[in-house]
Amino acid sequence: MTVEKLDGVTFAQMVLSGAHHLTNNAKRIDALNVFPVPDGDTGTNMNLSMTSGANEVKKLNSNNISEVADAFAKGLLMGARGNSGVILSQIFRGFSRGMEKKSTLTAKGLANAIDSGVASAYKAVMKPVEGTILTVAKDAAKEAVEVAQKENDVIALMEDVVKEAKASLKRTPDLLPVLKEVGVVDSGGQGLVTIYEGFLAALKGEALPESNADIDMEEMVNAEHHKSAHDFMDTADIEFGYCTEFMIKFEADKLSKNPFNEEEFRNELSEHGDSLLVVSDDDIIKVHVHAEYPGTCMTLGQRYGSLTNMKIENMREQHTALVDEANNRNEPKEKTEYAIVTVAMGSGLTELFESLGASVVIEGGQTMNPSTKDITDAIKQANAQNVLILPNNKNIIMAADQAADLAEENVEVVPTSTIPQGISALLAFHPQADIAANKKTMDEAGKLVKTGQVTYAVRDTQIDGLTIENGNFMGIADGKIKASHQDKLEVTKLLLQEMVSDDDEILTVLQGEDSEDEEVKALVTYIEDVYENIEIEVHKGNQPVYSYIFSVE
Amino acid sequence: MSIELNTNDGHVTITNEVIATIAGGAAVECYGIVGMASRSQIRDGIAEILKKENFLRGVVVRQEENHLHIDMYIIVSYGTKISEVAHNVQSQVKYTLHQSLGLSIDSVNIYIQGVRVTMD
Repeated sequence: MTVEKLDGVTFAQMVLSGAHHLTNNAKRIDALNVFPVPDGDTGTNMNLSMTSGANEVKKLNSNNISEVADAFAKGLLMGARGNSGVILSQIFRGFSRGMEKKSTLTAKGLANAIDSGVASAYKAVMKPVEGTILTVAKDAAKEAVEVAQKENDVIALMEDVVKEAKASLKRTPDLLPVLKEVGVVDSGGQGLVTIYEGFLAALKGEALPESNADIDMEEMVNAEHHKSAHDFMDTADIEFGYCTEFMIKFEADKLSKNPFNEEEFRNELSEHGDSLLVVSDDDIIKVHVHAEYPGTCMTLGQRYGSLTNMKIENMREQHTALVDEANNRNEPKEKTEYAIVTVAMGSGLTELFESLGASVVIEGGQTMNPSTKDITDAIKQANAQNVLILPNNKNIIMAADQAADLAEENVEVVPTSTIPQGISALLAFHPQADIAANKKTMDEAGKLVKTGQVTYAVRDTQIDGLTIENGNFMGIADGKIKASHQDKLEVTKLLLQEMVSDDDEILTVLQGEDSEDEEVKALVTYIEDVYENIEIEVHKGNQPVYSYIFSVE
Repeated sequence: MSIELNTNDGHVTITNEVIATIAGGAAVECYGIVGMASRSQIRDGIAEILKKENFLRGVVVRQEENHLHIDMYIIVSYGTKISEVAHNVQSQVKYTLHQSLGLSIDSVNIYIQGVRVTMD
């Protein structure tokens, strides 16, 4: 059978069939509703809107399709409920405008009207969210316009529209992350598909099944779980402890004693639990319910037939297990992608490195160099596929290189030779970049920073043109001794004069274990007076040997 | 003005701008809204539709003792059921603020400042 002209009477039948089909599926559409607000009313709202539209059509007795569409749009507008209802009213308002007062429609005319409906629906929104009823309507309209180029049969056109609407609906989870997370398709989109299916059925003169098996029970269960997951945080708050799913296969002799009524059965079950879903067709009922006594629900179901595919889960135990898992961090760790192993001396420096993201800090430094084995052990302990080593001392770089050669993991050494270089390199670490790129940028970052160290001489010596006596303090800038004096503060001032230039912005002071807070205060006051533009940061490094370590950038 | 929350780990301060931004963002995602309107529109008489970046001018967050009220000035599309659009904005703003900040809003007052008629 083909239809080349769509008249008002046929269109009115389409509207009524769409409304009827939506009513039958409203509860299922409700169950899918997780966006924008998961309040489970999309199906109800669309159904009320659609019913209002259908009632206007019923009142009118006309064979003029333009008049019928006008009445339908008016009814939808008056009865619009919820976001989806308002969108629906816009789609059909545009639809009725798109007909240009024609009394009948060809396939091309119908396609144009559908397309014009979508255009006007998109006009009424500032920020359209894709993956909703709007997307489904748009994709279906696009298909309609394309098909109408060469198709004159209205039925064939509508068949393609329904097909594309369904395909588009299937794609909604890819466009809207919340849908994907829950594992459902968009509820408003489903509503529109349902309406279009009703249209098509009326065109073909077919009856639609009371329930639509197209909407996946699995999806609805996901959506119900998502909703109830919002309801409780504590295990003790779970009112109904068992997630229960089962199917009932109808048996004729049981049905003759207990005729089945879906509505009644649902109401009955709702007294025993929540997150309830009941879907039935001619042969089978599917039930999902969270109940405290699953047996009771099953017994109720058995009145109509035999049980199959039963599944009961203890949600309290599942919830406790989830909580335990989150609390329990002692389980064997999986290898992480990246780890950073570094060397430092002093509790403050260790903490500082850890807070910046170092996985393992080996104790060591000047006067106490870690062995290759110490570093190999640290690489193992770090438990990562890629390990970056920051030796922070010239004398440790070689041991680090050796450890890198021995390791099975992917290990690179960033040859930092001072603590400030190590800190700077660590800050340049980028977890998204590969290890070679990281080695390069971290190495460069380490070289940008100037290092100053204040320590004391353990013997008399002459170096770099300076005479140093045992017990004197020395100021070292990037490995070169620049100043020597009996007084620590004096040496520090001399060192800073050598190091700090006008271009420098930040001076970080790492306070050693032998430096008193009073002394640091005096030093900071001095720096603030002399170097107005520089920002000072003081950390307690508690390192031995060096009274101060400075980093200047 | 700002909202102070005390948690076990310390304080959290949320300024009214944050609340207004979230409310505005939720509102413009609602169907039927074609714009946020300046709240001073009545005074200066110009029905301007605010550009996206300054739609905050159409959102007022008021705190009265422990109650939070939000006033939103919106422009809706002609041909929609205005009361329903307003109601959708109310529930979406309430829901979104609860989701992202855990705040319960006592009232979301909607002022329809204009209706945009488009040729279709």
